[in-house]
Amino acid sequence: MSDATRQDLSQSNGHVGNGRPETSHHPETDAKREDKHYYGIPPIKHAHWTWQIPVYFWIGGIGAGTHLFSTVAQLLGHEDAALKRASRYTVLVTMILSPIFLIWDLGRPERFYNMMRILKLRSPMSTQSWSLLMFGNLGGLLAARQAASDGLLGRNVLSRLLLKLIPERLLSVLTLPFGLFVGFNTGNLISATSVPIWARNWALMAPTFLASGLSTALSWLSLVLHLTHSGEAKTLRALHRAEKATIVIEAGLIAASLVRMSRWGKPLFSKSVAPLFVGGALLSGIAAPAALLFSGKETRGKSILSSLLVLAGGLAFRFSLIKAGRISADDPEAYFSFASGESAPQPEDKV
Amino acid sequence: MATGFLTDTTVCIGCKACEVACKQWNQLPADGYEFTGDSYDNTKQLSGTTWRHVAFIENPKKRRLTGDVDLVALAEDVTEPLPGGAELDALGRWAFMSDVCKHCVAAPCQQACPTGSIIRNEFDNVYIQPDICNGCGYCVPACPYGVITQVPNDGRAFKCTLCYDRQIDGLEPACAKACPTNSIMFGDVEDLKELAEERVQQLHDKGYTQAYVWGTPEVGGTGGIEGNHSKFILMDEPETYNLPKHPYLPQEKVKGGVIAGAVAAGVLGAVVALAFRD
Ligand code: SF4
Ligand code: SF4
Repeated sequence: MSDATRQDLSQSNGHVGNGRPETSHHPETDAKREDKHYYGIPPIKHAHWTWQIPVYFWIGGIGAGTHLFSTVAQLLGHEDAALKRASRYTVLVTMILSPIFLIWDLGRPERFYNMMRILKLRSPMSTQSWSLLMFGNLGGLLAARQAASDGLLGRNVLSRLLLKLIPERLLSVLTLPFGLFVGFNTGNLISATSVPIWARNWALMAPTFLASGLSTALSWLSLVLHLTHSGEAKTLRALHRAEKATIVIEAGLIAASLVRMSRWGKPLFSKSVAPLFVGGALLSGIAAPAALLFSGKETRGKSILSSLLVLAGGLAFRFSLIKAGRISADDPEAYFSFASGESAPQPEDKV
Repeated sequence: MATGFLTDTTVCIGCKACEVACKQWNQLPADGYEFTGDSYDNTKQLSGTTWRHVAFIENPKKRRLTGDVDLVALAEDVTEPLPGGAELDALGRWAFMSDVCKHCVAAPCQQACPTGSIIRNEFDNVYIQPDICNGCGYCVPACPYGVITQVPNDGRAFKCTLCYDRQIDGLEPACAKACPTNSIMFGDVEDLKELAEERVQQLHDKGYTQAYVWGTPEVGGTGGIEGNHSKFILMDEPETYNLPKHPYLPQEKVKGGVIAGAVAAGVLGAVVALAFRD
């Protein structure tokens, strides 16, 4: 060290003979540097998804669940015209809206058709697009036949052809796997990412989404049938029973997911998401309707109220998961603790 | 032949020539003038418009300068104990690291891309075809290193192309060309692997036993990613450089997730069927 430097140092501060320069990141004064990260800048990037995606998850689930219920009814020989009508048109509307929301969310919407230039089984976004295409088109055919039999298309050749050429029962069954795939694959869509809270729950994400989708779908059907005073008594009874069972399964799956997410599930209980998740999804979306469904005699008013609660709860659940994913991705501590050892999914893990 | 980078952070001087060269060659738009107040690094991170990013890591935590500090010795790479009980580590106080797309061997972004826009080109680099990408953004949360983002106003996703255009013309990437200390090396991945091992050995011999290669299947490429074509010589834990220790391939579990979903579908179908029984 030159004499000049030595002199400078001894004059400038108290660390004479130490030479420790003063920095803005002095270890004693800067607690931030104790953490292992780069100034708190997220090491991974969150998904840009805006409201269209959770809304799509929600209506896609309703479409899938509705088709499941009506197809099972049909297969069991329970032909209820009102149920069938409600279900066919529900699938049609959800499958018209879903691609609209998804394309809206693209950075280059005019290129949406590039999704159809390749099928990649490892990409849930790819399989989702294809299953949506199949479910939408097959569901559309079923809805067209329904419209023909409802007389909405007039009494012309087209209607007669539709009625004659579309084998309804067979087509319903063929449509079912695509519908179910649309219903559960949304879970895989978010779990096949680097976001800790989503990736951690890879095994339960798809079942949870499907159960929650079915529960919103049953509520939707029961709401429509009750409001229009239609539907056979047997249908309503079955709906009520299925609603009860599904809400219990859904609650169980969400609880198991929270256990599985463990410390990485914290964002769901953070200040900005907790009102939506705990208040919206858990309390008013599951606990309250469950109380209504399981208490006393079934009445029309109670059914309608519980349906509305379940539908709103399902939407809140999807929004809270997407929001929590953003918080999780933006938290260096969460990602580094997740991607540092056994916690992250490993190739040798089994279902 | 597979090409890649080897970024030797131990000789990086933080001049950011690579960042500038990359921006210029690839005609990338500015990111705005932001002042972080954290360090002299105001670029902060990689993104769709920043394909090379030089991190400035001020790390007084472990290797503190104590005793009489001889700045000449510091610059000359001396690690022996100094007179007056001074301890120093020439590479300790400030670390620089030029970050870039890792060009993963099994690339999560590529597997996620639903349009097939992300491909492996003839140099075995991970390349986004800008004429195919429809801006779905799914590759963004898939990348375990936060490399890709969608570019606002454009809508599409972008990242380092490893100067595909320059390679076709037999040139090395702009960043490697511009680097004045040869911290960024470009070449055949096999050659670079050897180079990296040699350099790490050299560092160990000099007493820097903490030096290691990051981006091998063992370090920084676990969980199915099988290693990276952009390797780094690091002197500290990966997290210090904002890199994960054991990233994983997110698509590894897609099959399991689909099976779980199918089982759930069967169970829920049965539940609905049972609900019809009187
Ligand atoms: S580092 Fe990210 S962007 Fe680069 S190849 Fe790997 S996954 Fe893709
Ligand atoms: S944003 Fe572009 S490159 Fe990324 S996954 Fe979507 S289509 Fe592929």
